[in-house]
Amino acid sequence: MSSVTIRGIRKKYGSMDVLHGIDLDIRDQEFVVLVGPSGCGKSTLLRMIAGLESVSSGDIMIGERVVNDVPAKSRDIAMVFQNYALYPHMSVYENMSFSLRLRKQAKEMIDRKVREAASILNLTSYLERSPRQLSGGQRQRVAMGRALVRDAQVFLFDEPLSNLDAKLRVVMRTEIKALHQRLKTTSVYVTHDQIEAMTMADRIVVMNAGRIEQIGTPLQLYDTPANLFVADFIGSPSMNVLPGTLRAEGGAVWVEIADGLRLPVPAAHAARAGQKVVFGIRPEHTLLADAGSGIPLEVEVVEPTGANIQVYAKIGGAHLCAIFTDRHEFRPGDLIHLAFPEAKIHLFDAASGMRL
Amino acid sequence: MQKSIPLLMIVPSLLMAMAIIGYPILDLAWTSSQEVSRFGKLTGFAGWENFAEVFGDQLFWDSLWRTGIWTFFVVVGTLAVSLPVAIILNDDFYGRGLARVIIMLPWSVSLTMTAVVWRWALNGRAGLLNATLMDIGIIDQPVEWLATASTAFVVEILVGILVSIPFTTTILLGGLSAMPQDTYEAAMVDGASGWHQFRYITLPLMKPFINIAIVLNVIYVFNSLPIIWVMTEGGPANGTDILVTYLYKLAFRFGQLGKAAAISLIMFGVLLVFTLLYVALVSRGEEDAAPEDEKEA
Amino acid sequence: MSRKLTRSLLYWLFLSPLVVVILFPFGVMFVTAIRPRDEIFTYPPTWGFSEFRWTNFSEMWVKTNFGGALMNSIYVSVLATAIALLLAIPAAYAMSRYRFAGKGLYRNFLLMTQMMSPIVLVLGLFRLMMAMGLVNDLNSLVVTYAAFNLAFTIWMLQSYFNSIPRDLEEAAWIDGASHLTSLVRIFLPLAVPAMVVAAIFTFINSWNEFVLALTLMRSSEDFTLPVQIYAQVAGRYQVEWHHVMAGTVLATVPVAIVFSWLQRYLIRGMALGAVK
Ligand SMILES: Nc1ncnc2c1ncn2[C@@H]1O[C@H](COP(=O)(O)OP(=O)(O)OP(=O)(O)O)[C@@H](O)[C@H]1O
Ligand SMILES: [Mg+2]
Repeated sequence: MSSVTIRGIRKKYGSMDVLHGIDLDIRDQEFVVLVGPSGCGKSTLLRMIAGLESVSSGDIMIGERVVNDVPAKSRDIAMVFQNYALYPHMSVYENMSFSLRLRKQAKEMIDRKVREAASILNLTSYLERSPRQLSGGQRQRVAMGRALVRDAQVFLFDEPLSNLDAKLRVVMRTEIKALHQRLKTTSVYVTHDQIEAMTMADRIVVMNAGRIEQIGTPLQLYDTPANLFVADFIGSPSMNVLPGTLRAEGGAVWVEIADGLRLPVPAAHAARAGQKVVFGIRPEHTLLADAGSGIPLEVEVVEPTGANIQVYAKIGGAHLCAIFTDRHEFRPGDLIHLAFPEAKIHLFDAASGMRL
Repeated sequence: MQKSIPLLMIVPSLLMAMAIIGYPILDLAWTSSQEVSRFGKLTGFAGWENFAEVFGDQLFWDSLWRTGIWTFFVVVGTLAVSLPVAIILNDDFYGRGLARVIIMLPWSVSLTMTAVVWRWALNGRAGLLNATLMDIGIIDQPVEWLATASTAFVVEILVGILVSIPFTTTILLGGLSAMPQDTYEAAMVDGASGWHQFRYITLPLMKPFINIAIVLNVIYVFNSLPIIWVMTEGGPANGTDILVTYLYKLAFRFGQLGKAAAISLIMFGVLLVFTLLYVALVSRGEEDAAPEDEKEA
Repeated sequence: MSRKLTRSLLYWLFLSPLVVVILFPFGVMFVTAIRPRDEIFTYPPTWGFSEFRWTNFSEMWVKTNFGGALMNSIYVSVLATAIALLLAIPAAYAMSRYRFAGKGLYRNFLLMTQMMSPIVLVLGLFRLMMAMGLVNDLNSLVVTYAAFNLAFTIWMLQSYFNSIPRDLEEAAWIDGASHLTSLVRIFLPLAVPAMVVAAIFTFINSWNEFVLALTLMRSSEDFTLPVQIYAQVAGRYQVEWHHVMAGTVLATVPVAIVFSWLQRYLIRGMALGAVK
């Protein structure tokens, strides 16, 4: 097991820049998740670590070794592909043992390792089957098993769960995490599903358009998103964002949004009065308030999920989502009043999108 | 070094094709500009004389005209049969597998063999076509099918159609089987009748395949020697000669290499035009389907 | 009556004239090949005959040197197929897996060669083979057949290779395989079906070729089957039709059987191969 260090990595396809200088330190035994919208360059970065894409500039180090020019086969990494990439003409056993056979390891040793991995993954009774005869979840496990037998320095995952149905995805998510806690192999995991990222990661790397937006633990990203992009990307449903202007008068500080509505913010922001800002509040942090003190909103849509109620409402020309765990009988057209606790408020500069 | 790997992989095939297909073209260009002795020896530069001779030759113009007729009728006839056949073979019915095998059968037999068998079947005295037609009472005297140029040419065109059907049907079937089923289902839901489905869905979607089948057939038929060569050798009295048979006679019977080379080049020019047409058709179809996951070398 | 049954009857009715015309020459072939010699030129012509004369085949075999021509055809077709495949596999792999300068150019060059028919080039080829002393040498047919079949073979293989996911090879590299190892142990085994089909079609094309064989092989020991059978018919005062037909039966039927078994691959492969 070892660390992975990425220094100033760039990637060009022809004249098109796909990655614009990525710096990232992945510690030994860490589980890092790369997340971002489609096309932002996650797979490209992962494949560069794997040695499947050439490096346009910058350095990639696995442990102490710069691997830019080391071919994939000598990097001592294992990878699980989105479509599993199981060898269709080999049995499960042969798939899992392929890498060991290439390394000319002893037969008994290979057998022991394959059976060990198979028992961890509940594949023991499928070893003689061909990949065609397996379900999606089983194939996924075989792909994992192929990585597992290797004792590789680093595990790489490229959206390994995206071809599974929702239920199975949750199960496998937990299994992969449990596996990591047991093996402690340094892992880089690509997904565009932020819930997967939040639940699995030691640290999350949020990427957008070939750049890193923020690196941090799941809670850091949730509590203090560095900018509007991260704020919007992490959390589901997304954070409500309301553009407005910061005002201060006689000790009171507020953001004035369309229709002249005033949203109170912490007094610390008084110095920025007059600045164009974006006010952010997560749906789960909104509170119901009295008609006197709260901000008035008109209910548009009510969606009960069982566990909670999601309410979509109109506020000063914008729309806002609020989540309540208590049961309320709201109907479209109702007027409700909300309060936004100061500690949960996020403020961003409207021009740069950066957190204030 | 990395960059040269794909080049190294294509070079052997490239060299092979260059040598066997590229070089003869240059040689033909050279030969067509040479004066040729009666014994097939090149004796000196002749400029455009060979071409002038070709263009002044009534047999050339007759052959060219007949090539046009031959190509047109075989291609159109083939398409007229193949399109309904392909549509039937694409539908589900009892014995479809057998029907496909039978329709494709002529493809596996060399044109030479087919032509030899037909030459015998059309024999004016004992041919079994005459036997069949007499048995069912269509004729009461054996007919000398290949003895007059006009009937012989018609018969050759019909045989030409017969042997072109499998290839054409295959291309059309490929197109039909690639057609999205849900489009039909949507059309049925929209209340389209069978004819409307054909007219407004099948035909437009099939158009690229039909175009390609036409162009490829034009090229193949234009170039096809064995049927006419084996059945009549362009005779009687040059009455069924098309360009390829005329060219072959000039080159290997009469030793008029310069003239033959000139005709070859003219045909090459015509083919080039068809090929460019084909390339245009294919690349237009490919624009949507280009695989973008190609990696760098 | 179920709808499918009605439809089937209707379709067969529609196809029946074509089916008859297609099967007719096969009938002619068989019926002539097995009838006694003196019943060939009966008047009026008739399908009927008095007995099955199987000895026609053995007689024909000896008299027309069928065995020699058969060996020539096998030699030429097998070698041409092997060479075409050997050259086409790397080219198709490169076309399917790499992006490189000149790829589009090469694609169009292949298209051109696919369009070029032997007949247009036959004079140039004859002079080439003459200059190289290869006239009357079966190897001249081997190389020309290989060359003329390259383009189609490359198309067909390339379109199949495109359908083999690239990440299988990448997975093998990550598993520790070199490019060569992944090619041999992962890629090629998966490509076998396409290679078999491509091989069989090159084989059939070579087996059936006429113009070049007629031109480049001048002496009767070097004739391939189509030329051999043509030679029994062309420019003869008296044609032994029962022998000719026996020859066509033997030359045609095995190929037709293999072909029938393969034609469903053809519909799939051709549609991709020829059209793309
Ligand atoms: N071989 C290539 N040639 C040119 N551009 C490419 C190539 N591969 C990827 N790209 C481009 O690079 C960008 C990043 O692609 P990448 O596959 O890394 O995205 P991703 O973040 O993994 O997206 P997804 O979530 O959809 O998998 C995309 O805009 C893509 O179009
Ligand atoms: Mg990706």
